Order: sequence, then C-alpha cells, then structure tokens
Amino acid sequence: MAASLQGWSQPAEAFENVIIHTADGEVVDGGTIVWRDGIIRSVGPEEEVTIPFDAYVRDGGDSLHVYPGFIDGMALWGSPDTDGPGGTPDEPGNPGYKRAGIQPQRYPSEHLKANDQALEKAAEMGFTTAALGLKGQMLPGQVDLFFIRGKQTPDNLLEEGVGVLAQFKEAKGPAYPSTTMGLMAQFRQLFYDAEALHRQQEYFASVSSSYPAPQKEKELEALYPVMKQKQPFFFVADSKENIERVLWLQDELGFDMVLVSGKEAYTKAQELRRREIPVLAGIDLPEKPDWMSTDDDGKDEKDRDTQPAEVTEEMQHFRERQQQAYKERINNINTLRESGVRVGYSSNGFNTSAIRKNLLILKEESGMNESQLLNILTQSTADILGYGQRLGDLEEGRLANFTVFDNPFTEEKAKGLFSVSNGEVTELDSESSN
Amino acid sequence: MKKIVLLFFALLLSPAGYAQEKGSVLISGGTLITITDGNKENTDLLIEDGVITEIGRDLSAPDGVETIDASGKYVMPGIVDAHSHIAAVDVNEWTHPVTAEVTMEESIDPNDINMYWALAGGVTSIHLMHGSANVIGGQNETLKLRYGGDMDELRFEGAPRTIKFALGENPTRVHGQRFNVQPRTRMGVEQIVRDHFDAAFDYQRNRREYLEAREAYEEGARGEAPVPVAKNARMEVLVDILEGDIRVHCHSYRADEIMMLMRVFDDYGIENYTFQHANEAFKVAPELRKNGAYTSVFSDWWAYKFEVYYSTAFNASILNANGVINSINSDSGELIRHLNHEAAKTVHYGGTSKQDALRMITINPAMQLGIDDKVGSIEEGKHGDIAIWSGHPLSIYSMAEATFVDGKKYFDRDKDADDMRLEVNPEEDFEHAGRRWYEEHGRRGGTCLRGAEVRFNEQGMHFRHQTR
Amino acid sequence: MRTFLKFFISGFLLVVIVVTAGVAQFTEKAEFGKFAITNATIHTVSDGVIEHGVVLINGETIEFVGKNAKITSDYHRINAAGKHLYPGFMDAGTQLGLQEIGAVAVTKDQAELGEFNPHVRAFTAINPSSVSIPVTRVNGVTHVVSLPVSGRLSGKATLIDLYGYSPDSMAVSPNAALHLNWPTAQKGGAGDQRSEEEVEKAYKKNLKELNEFWDRAVFYDDMMMSYEEGSADKEAPDTHKKLEAMREVLSGDIPVMISVDRKQDILNALEWTKKHPDVHFILAGVQEGWRVADEIAEAGLPCLVSTLFTPERAYDNYQRPYQNPAELHEAGVKVAIATGEIENVRNAPYHAGYAAAYGLGKEEALKAITLNAAEIFDVADRLGSIEEGKQANLFLSDGDPFEPTTHIDQVFIRGYKIPMVSRHSQLYEKYLNRGAVEH
Repeated sequence: MAASLQGWSQPAEAFENVIIHTADGEVVDGGTIVWRDGIIRSVGPEEEVTIPFDAYVRDGGDSLHVYPGFIDGMALWGSPDTDGPGGTPDEPGNPGYKRAGIQPQRYPSEHLKANDQALEKAAEMGFTTAALGLKGQMLPGQVDLFFIRGKQTPDNLLEEGVGVLAQFKEAKGPAYPSTTMGLMAQFRQLFYDAEALHRQQEYFASVSSSYPAPQKEKELEALYPVMKQKQPFFFVADSKENIERVLWLQDELGFDMVLVSGKEAYTKAQELRRREIPVLAGIDLPEKPDWMSTDDDGKDEKDRDTQPAEVTEEMQHFRERQQQAYKERINNINTLRESGVRVGYSSNGFNTSAIRKNLLILKEESGMNESQLLNILTQSTADILGYGQRLGDLEEGRLANFTVFDNPFTEEKAKGLFSVSNGEVTELDSESSN
Repeated sequence: MKKIVLLFFALLLSPAGYAQEKGSVLISGGTLITITDGNKENTDLLIEDGVITEIGRDLSAPDGVETIDASGKYVMPGIVDAHSHIAAVDVNEWTHPVTAEVTMEESIDPNDINMYWALAGGVTSIHLMHGSANVIGGQNETLKLRYGGDMDELRFEGAPRTIKFALGENPTRVHGQRFNVQPRTRMGVEQIVRDHFDAAFDYQRNRREYLEAREAYEEGARGEAPVPVAKNARMEVLVDILEGDIRVHCHSYRADEIMMLMRVFDDYGIENYTFQHANEAFKVAPELRKNGAYTSVFSDWWAYKFEVYYSTAFNASILNANGVINSINSDSGELIRHLNHEAAKTVHYGGTSKQDALRMITINPAMQLGIDDKVGSIEEGKHGDIAIWSGHPLSIYSMAEATFVDGKKYFDRDKDADDMRLEVNPEEDFEHAGRRWYEEHGRRGGTCLRGAEVRFNEQGMHFRHQTR
Repeated sequence: MRTFLKFFISGFLLVVIVVTAGVAQFTEKAEFGKFAITNATIHTVSDGVIEHGVVLINGETIEFVGKNAKITSDYHRINAAGKHLYPGFMDAGTQLGLQEIGAVAVTKDQAELGEFNPHVRAFTAINPSSVSIPVTRVNGVTHVVSLPVSGRLSGKATLIDLYGYSPDSMAVSPNAALHLNWPTAQKGGAGDQRSEEEVEKAYKKNLKELNEFWDRAVFYDDMMMSYEEGSADKEAPDTHKKLEAMREVLSGDIPVMISVDRKQDILNALEWTKKHPDVHFILAGVQEGWRVADEIAEAGLPCLVSTLFTPERAYDNYQRPYQNPAELHEAGVKVAIATGEIENVRNAPYHAGYAAAYGLGKEEALKAITLNAAEIFDVADRLGSIEEGKQANLFLSDGDPFEPTTHIDQVFIRGYKIPMVSRHSQLYEKYLNRGAVEH
C-alpha cells in the first residue's frame, strides 16, 4: 500500500478542535494536529497551526482527546500459542533446541496471527506501536517492532529484531532444562557453543581448503548479535532473585539487556541504574487482598461465610505486612522512576482489557499522575526501543501515531475513537470495545 | 510485641548488605562445649568482628561490645547440617543422568522461613544440596544462615566446592524405569560414572589442545586454523572433580553401591568424598575407614523404600566405633530443627559417647564440607558461629536461646516474634490447609527427590515430573 | 602375612560368635510367668512415684505395686536398682503394622479405595511379623492405635499391643475407632490454584456427601433396631455391609476419630459433632488446636497430637507445634500423643518429650503417652498405668525415657518379658566388630 504511493504526496489529514496531550504532560485545548505521508507536519493550538488546503479535516468538537500512540515494549499479541507439553523426548536430557524452548531465530513477523483479537483490542486501548515477541520458553525468538493496526498489523512491520526475547521458563514437560539452575547453565552453554561455531565459521571463511565445514546451527547464529552486543536481550524476570540471576549472567556473558516485566525490579533499582539497564515494566499488579478492598473504612466488612471474621492480633499483623508488600509492588514503577531507572511499558502477555483498570490503580495508589503514566506508555518506551525521536510524542516530524479518545485515557469510561498508526486512520468500532 | 517485630525487621532489613555485617560479643560464664578441646566450665568466650579471639576466665568486654551472661548455660559451636534442601528454589535438574553443570548456588531461596526455624535449633551452616535424581547431579552450595541476607550474602565464603552424586533406586527409577534411559540398574549407574569421567578426560585434552593451537594460530606460530572445541560447562565441572577441586557427596544406601563407588574413585584417583544417607555404610565400615571416606547419615530413618529396609539406627555408632568420620544430617526442614536430639540418638543406639555425638553435628560435618578450619568447634581464630543452650544440648529439655553467625545474633529466644518472614506475598491467604497430620512424618516429602516428584503416597512411589 | 592371618582368625571367630549370638537372639522367645521387679523407681502415672519399689507380675497381670512385698522363690527376680519403671507407652495414632516399605506399593495396606469404607478394618491387615514392630517396642512403646487413612471414612482403626503371633493375640480393641478425614474448607497453600468459591464449593460438596452417608447410616440403624425389636410379621431387611459397620459408631460403642488440623476446619468439625450427641468423638492431628483451644475444651473432645512437625503457616512461631499439647491441656483438653508414624513410632517418647519441655511438663506429658490414651480409648481398666490388677505392660530404663540418650533395658507386654532384640540391634551385633577389610 505504501509502495504505490511513492512519487507523489498524499493529501494531508488533520484533527481540529481536539485536546492534545503531549508525552511531557502538556495539554493543549482547542488544538490541531496535521499529518501527511505518515509524519506529523504540525501540531499545537489552532492559532499556531495552519491546515493545508488539501487536508482532510475531522472536527473534534472541543471534547476529544488526542494522545501520542501508546507503545508496548514487549507484547505477545498475535503470537501463536506454544505447542502442548510436547510429549516425552527419547532422552529428556537431550531434547533438542526446539523442544528445550531454544528458538531465538524465530521472527514474530513470520508467525504472527493476523486475526488475534488482541491486536484490535490493543488499538482500542490506544496502542499504535508494539514490539512483539512470541510465546515460548527460554528463548522464544526475536522481538519485532510493528505498527499496530488490527488485522493489518502483520503488513506493518517497522523493524525486525529489536531484541532477542529471553526468560526463565523451563522446557515444557519432561525435558532439559527443567529448573532455574538448569536454565542458567543452558544460557551459558549456548553462548559457549555459539562462540565456538562463530569462530569455526570465521576460520572456514578465511581459508580456501583443508578445513572442515562448520555445521549450520541457526539457533546459535541467532545469538551472535547478542554476543557482540549489537542486539539486546529482552530479558523477562520478576522476582528480586531472578533479576539478580540475570545480572550474574550479564556479568559473565556480557550482553546488553532490557529488563522486561520486573515486578520486583524496585528492589534492584540502584543496581539497574548503575548498569543503565532500562525496564519495560509490567502492570500485572498483585490482586488486592479482599480485606483491603472491603473494609477500607473499617466498617462494612462483607461476610462471605456465616461467621464474621474476627480480626485477631496475629491477623492484624499479617494484614499490616501484607499491605506493606502490596504497596511496594504497586509502587514498583514509581520507585524505579524516582531512582533514575528508565522505565517503559510491557504487557508481556497481560490481558489487554485489564490495562485501564490497573492504570487507574497506579494513578490512585502509586503516587504517579496521569502525565507520568502517559510518559511511560509513550516517550519513555520509545526511548528504550531506540525510537525516541520518531515515536512517543506529538511533535512535528514524528511518525503520525496517536489515538483519539472521547475522555482522558485513565478514565474508566474512556473509549478510543480513532487510531492513527503510521499515518493511517482506523475508525475504532466502539461496540467491540466493551 | 508488635513493636519488637517491627524493630527487628527495621534492623534486619533496612540497610542493604546488613546481613554481611559481623558482630562482636562477650559470652561469659557458660560451659563451653569446645568439641575439639573438651568442655570448659564457667568460661568466657570473646568474639570480635565475627571471629573468636579469646577463650578464658574473667575476660572483659572491649568498649561497645555487649556481654551476655551464660552462666548455667551451655555454649556450643553452631550446628552444621551436611545435607539440607531448605532455602532452595529447585532441587533436582533431574532430566539427564549427569547434570554437573547446574549448581545450587543459583537455586538459593534467601526468603525461606525454614532458615530461621533452623537457627532456632542452633544451626548456623547448611550444605544446600542438589537432589538425588541423577547419578552425577548438580553442585551443592554451603551456606551460612545469615537470615535476611540475599543470595550472595548467604554463601559460606571460602567453603570448597562440592557436588552431588546419587546411586541406587532414585536414579534408576527416574531415568531407567520412567524414561528408558540408562541407568536402569546399579550396573548401569557405575558405567554412567565411568563413561562421563572418561569423556571428561578426553574433553580436557581436546579442549587444551585446541586452546593451545588457537593461541599459536593467532600468534602466527601455526599456519593451520584449529577446529574449535567449545567450552562445555558439564565437562568443565567433571574435570574439576577429577582434578580434586570439587568434593563429592554421594547419595547412597546399599553397601554394594558404596563399594562400587569407592572402586571407581580409586581408579580415577578421587580422594575427598562423603557418602550421604549411607544407610548400609555400617556393613562396610572397615572399607570406608581404609579409604578415608566420610559418611553423613540419618539418625534413624529407614524402611521408606526397599534399599533402606535392611538398615539400622545403630549405623552411626558402628561407623564411629570403626573410626569413620560420620555426621548426622537432616535432609529435612523438620529434623534440622532438632539435630541436637538426632545426634543424641547415637547415644541411645549403640552407646556413642556424648562428646562424639556432638562431633557428628559440628566438627565432623565441617570436615566433610571442608570448613573445619573455620567452624565446627570453639577455638580462637574460628568464626563466631555459636549457639547458647539452656541446658546440655543433647537433652530434650534444652533449647537454643540465642544463635550467632559471625558474632552477630540471628536468633534470640527472648525476642523471638511470631512472624519472622522476610518476604510477604501480597496475594497470600491468611488461612490455608496443608497435609494431614499423619502424612507429616518420614520420607513422604522425599525432599531429595523434590522437583523430580517421585512421590511417596498410599500407592507407593510415583513419578511425576515438575510442571509449572 | 602373620597379621593378616591373625586378623582373619579373629575376624572368623567374631563372625562365628556374632552369628551364633544372632541366631540365639533371633529365636529367643518371650518369657512368661512370674516376675518380681525390685528396687525400681516406679512411675505409676496413676499414683505418683515410688522409690525403691517392687512390682510383681503374675502371668498377664500386675499383682502388686508397692514398697515391700514378700517375694516367693517362684518369682523370677529382676534387680532394677538405679532403674526406672514406666507403664508401656501408647502411640494413639499410627500406621504401624499396615505398611512394611513406603515405596513398595504391595507392602502398603492402610489405604483402601473409595470414599466411604467404615467396614474395612485395620485389624485385618496388621502384619504381626512386621520388622517395624520389634523396632518400636524395644523403645518402650508397647501399644499403638493403627489406622486406615484414605478417603472420607477410611475404616476402623485398631488398638493393638506390640507382641504376638497374630492380630488376634495382639488386639486390645480390634475396632478401636472409626477414622474420619474431615473435609477441609481451606485452600491448600500456594500450590492450590482454586478460587475461594471453588474451595468453598468443594467443601460443601464433601460435607454433603458425608452427611448423606451419615443420614443413611442413621436410617439403617433405626430400621434395623426396629426390626430387631422383633415382631414376626416384619420381613428381614437386606444387610448393608457399610451401613452395618456404622451401627457400633452410632450407638456410641466406638468413637469416631476425626483427623483435622487447621483452625477453621477444627471449628467446622466441632460444629458438626454437636449434631450427633450420641456419638463419641476424638480429634486427631489438631495441629492448630492452640488457635481454638477454648472451643475444643468447651466441646469436651480429647485430642491426639504430636509435636515434631514444622508450622504449617510461614508466619507461625517456630515453637507452635511443640507448644500445642500444652496449650490444649491448659484450656482443659485431654491430650494424648499420636505420631502418625509407621516405621518410626519408636520416636513417640520424643514427641512427648517436646510437649513436656514446651509447657506440658513431664508429669502431664507422661500421662499423654500412657493413661490419657488408655482413657480416650476406654481401656484404662487394663492399660495406661502401673496399678495392681492392670495388664503388665511396663518397661525399665536407665533414666528419663523422654531423653533420647536414655536406654530402655527391658520391656514387658501383657506380662511377656520381651527379648530386647530387633532387626536394628541384630545388625548392630552382626556388624559392630565385623573385622578386617576383606579384599
């Protein structure tokens, strides 16, 4: 589609009389945004923006909100589900790369399921770009950056291989590696083997005869760029201990990385900052304990069972500690931010429809305001993905990626009306958004 | 009470790396069970900056050092448990008969409450072991129970590397019986060990030759490019065993398999090793003694499977009488809470002396772990890892009153609070059910096979691999 | 060569000695008759401690307990100077005799298939030749309750002594109690992925099934009683094995032993027992009894408890399991020791020892492992203390039997002087001085 337009300028498009929110939290009432050829040409208060004569203009009626397109730093939308348990290998200790979950050579662009509802849903939630990974085990594949356009997403690849996805996920069923320590050993061994293969390939290439041909091992070759620090690991880890384990591996194997999910990353905030490791944080927040949500005012405790739960001293103590733990987890992103860690956003399989609810919790309970949340969903994630100049904000010269909502995005009733991704407008079907 | 809890946690948790701090304390007037130099009544013990600096009468505490009155009480070295699986994430990388490359060093759970409960039983060090599902299992990690520390801070610095081997029913059941992969028999077990040792020698030679050739090639001293031999994590560890850099701790039960491994080790020149569990070690005590092998046994566990049917609670006493350095271990989050009484059973079964019984949970396991120059007895220059007991530690009525690691108090019965968790799961329910009371005992949990999930239940032993 | 030969010979001699000794012990029979135990410190349990006392045993029975006795020459005298005499210990909840080897399914007889099996009897499957039995009794444990464990109603537990050639000769109460595994209303910890609703639903379903079975049993019992009251015109109803087996429970002749551990489950069970006023109940396990000790005391139910387990909840104090018996006792609950063990029932004294050390005190702990257990199972007329007229179940020790360093010197069961031999001691004798290395 884009190719057929080469050679001549497309007509411009514009929204006028809209409320424009920028990534740094500025709000422009009665704003206008103009884009052409997928690039924002002008944006700002209407008096400062000239709408070209050939622009197709939509009127926002002074009530619609325009936000920079949200970016998911690592989403699994469109990924085929992993195979079942995979049966029993002949030798559980030597299951082969695929069975072990070692498939770093896989590109999401080659596997994406266009009809995954999540891709539509994501646009409705305000996402116009996402780095997509594949479901799987320790090395499920590459991470590819896409413009999110529902079913058309597979045709809208922005960049292949922005990273290689890695995680502490054991092989399914009876197969090596089946433990965290097995995964650690397997990561190491893969680097050793890749190093040897790479060297053999170099030697082979450097001579014309008398040297055995190296075997083709696409799984190992896919790790070369990570080994050479030309491509980062997108490493999923949540617990403090697993984050520490990733850091051990980093010290030993010397790769660049982005931490994905990082539920307890706050416990390692200083270390992450020291190493300049950005975090694509998840918002899969802990479930609020029943007692916290029901007796906030200490009165209207809901009796599920017949007898009222008498709060004993030990229960009270238990609750105090639980509340403390809950708060720490809720404050994860804010703690990281305030410690100077670069924080973006990653859903990593988190249910798209629950995003708004959890953003609300973050807004209400973690001391982050709307513009700080917006920044994480936009500019900050763009920065981490290396697209800080092109994506993440509403600014002249940036890619035209934004969403038009009928209400501020953190409000429960907010609905996406238009999704603009790489300049292409999709009118969102508001029926399906609920 | 609540204040105490909060205060404790404030102390324990607030400053990062606090757990690595060492302490100073003067413990005065107690009966010191030195282990290596008899009992010393009414004697003071000074620990400074984590190290025992003075043992004697009428010592005075340096400025700022707390004095604890231990008169009428017993002061004993911290108990060393040579076989434990508490504070572990996973225990068994069971999938291959040989997984020397994995290490419990990377499978530590620093938040396990069982560590605190062990401290309350006077334990200061544990040998966190890989499980017994494979012939050559993973490497173990010796820890100090610096409860509150992170994974790094729990490590016993300077402790030699050790690795788990396992013979008999567990590996043959998991690999041979369940997956049709050798070994299925004790014959096969032997050959798995020999095959892998031979392979390690070959690897060592090939890898060395390659590295030399590569260096020569890169320096221009050799024209022909070498074919790379990849570094192999598994083989590297096996080579280290053969070089004597890693001590072997072998899960074993039957006398024949113990003899087998000693023959194999003799052939390969492996010297420093300990047989774990070794329920039938008593049958070959003279051979163990002759080979300088160590044993680390249960006080009385038996009959949970066939290979421990012909065993005896007198095992430890027979071994001890035959001059074998033996320890009593727990392999259990429950027994570790009262290893002193487990040791006391050696007096009951076979009349081991009380002093020797205490050696079996202090200096003997320390020798087996190669940390006897640091812990296991009360001697000047050794670490301040000790416990104060209300009475003689072998008495059922005695309780650990305070436990110190590196001179720092990690357990204090007077200030002991109910909730000593380090980590709180915000989603945990207050109430939850567990196993039935009559399932708590014995080897039902089979901690050694945790993860491999060879479960003991009413139907016997069943294999189920771990699923997540 | 000479040394070798010497070693060989001494080794050979030793082997000969040991083997013959072993054979002697293996075939040694228990003695039965008249025994006079003198100079002992007698811990009667029912009537304090008697220093330098005498106990006369005549056949199965304790004939005399006191300071001075006229001992005729037909009594085999046992001078117990410096020794302590205790009533045989009773472990009120085990699976001893029902399992030989844990991992070998064919040696396990404690778990019948099915949910409701009031008709199956542990008594039937007690293996009198279990190697674990001598191993247990030489530690002073003379009696156990052994229970089936599977399903909801597991079957009838049996109370046996640990000497005999058949279950029949060992049984004190062949049907000692009906074992009920109380259905839990709690989630099973972190591994349990069910929602609270699902957990509650499962509990309600399980409880409903139990109640339905129970109601049928009551109906059957009423029907049979009505039939038995007799009038010739009534047609004989068909016998229903399972419901028939409930009749001795419903009549209160034998108690229901309810295995229940968690706080809420205990409260639920207490509530349920109130609906069956004619039935006798015993609680077993009761690991969180300390949380609801007053409620248990109020219900008046005795508890079978142990001490050597880890706290179920990570936020519990480490001493809770040790203190549980004491806290129950303080609230007014009658407690007895039940380890749940199989091959290591021999550790029952140490469970009691922990209870003693952590608040129960030696005297009460001693009761908990003797007389209380006998009373709970309604056999205190024969067992549980050293009293004239009671069965001669006793042991001599060189000290406090709760101390693991103490040795048990002699055990009497039902008047039989038991050979102090087990597989474990035989292996010791055989291998202690096995001799030189054979290569």
